[in-house]
Amino acid sequence: MKRGQIYVTIVLLFLGMMIAVQVRSTRKFQQNAPTTRVQELTTRLQDVKDERDTLKDEVDNLRTKLDRISAGEETVNQAVRDELGKTRIEAGLAGVRGPGVQVILNDSPKELQPGENPNLYILHEEDLLKMVNELRAGGAEAISVNDQRLLATSEIRCAGNTILVNTKKIAPPIVMLATGDPDTLSSGLLIKGGIIESLRAWGLIAEVEKKKEITVPAFTGPITFNYSKPVK
Amino acid sequence: MWLPLLGLVIGIIIGLKSPSLPQTWAQYMSVTVLAAMDSVFGGIRAGMEKKFDDTIFITGFFSNVLLAAGLAYIGERVGVALYTAAIFAFGVRIFQNLAIIRRHILKK
Repeated sequence: MKRGQIYVTIVLLFLGMMIAVQVRSTRKFQQNAPTTRVQELTTRLQDVKDERDTLKDEVDNLRTKLDRISAGEETVNQAVRDELGKTRIEAGLAGVRGPGVQVILNDSPKELQPGENPNLYILHEEDLLKMVNELRAGGAEAISVNDQRLLATSEIRCAGNTILVNTKKIAPPIVMLATGDPDTLSSGLLIKGGIIESLRAWGLIAEVEKKKEITVPAFTGPITFNYSKPVK
Repeated sequence: MWLPLLGLVIGIIIGLKSPSLPQTWAQYMSVTVLAAMDSVFGGIRAGMEKKFDDTIFITGFFSNVLLAAGLAYIGERVGVALYTAAIFAFGVRIFQNLAIIRRHILKK
């Protein structure tokens, strides 16, 4: 019977071990998102992406249609067409070309020393805002940030570790294009104690280049006015 | 009597300390737990009937566990839920053994 007791002990030892492992792994798996939920979310993400793409196509379609109407129709007289063209440039719906400056901004390439605040050595949305402000003060007519045309309603906003422009995420290196008088624009940026100097003081990369011809892209998203009505 | 209980407690402690298994193994583990419980109840029943044989007990335990895990494995390979056969067989036997154990206790 003594041997039997040892056998029973061994068997119960195994049983206890297996039950404990099983209970633990079952509890762990219940904490994870069930696979069905993951699949559901994946499908929904795909759906929303598809929808977004269709809407983008639709916007493009309508734009070209509008272009064709404004270009082709005989009854629309020249003055109205000119006015429409000017308005579209102003609104940022038409890409523009002309002399201007190109500004390239990037985070500091310096290696961070222990104890240093990394926030001091990366680009912030305030830097972009100041830059845009300086360009506008210098008479820039059209500005784009990483291919996002800035409109009257455009935002430049910090969102986590990225910057949103026209609700699109942008990340360094940041290329800003601005049409206008190249000399005025670049001297406004490069002035002593100005924006470029203060960025370079932190080791950030900031380059200004005068260009004879740059192309500022058109705004590609939808523009909606849900709340505003024109005043008669 | 307390030696087997000590074994159970030590087993649970080892199980709690050991690294947990990947999710795919959880199914095999559930079947083998059932097989092990079947053996233990069978052993208790044999002990009550004064027919307990330690060799039969320990070989029965390991063969049950291995067969259950093997069935689950083959079942997964061929796409038939064979482990339900193991769950069914062991479940029925556990309840039968429990009924017999209960009668033995009540008769005393």
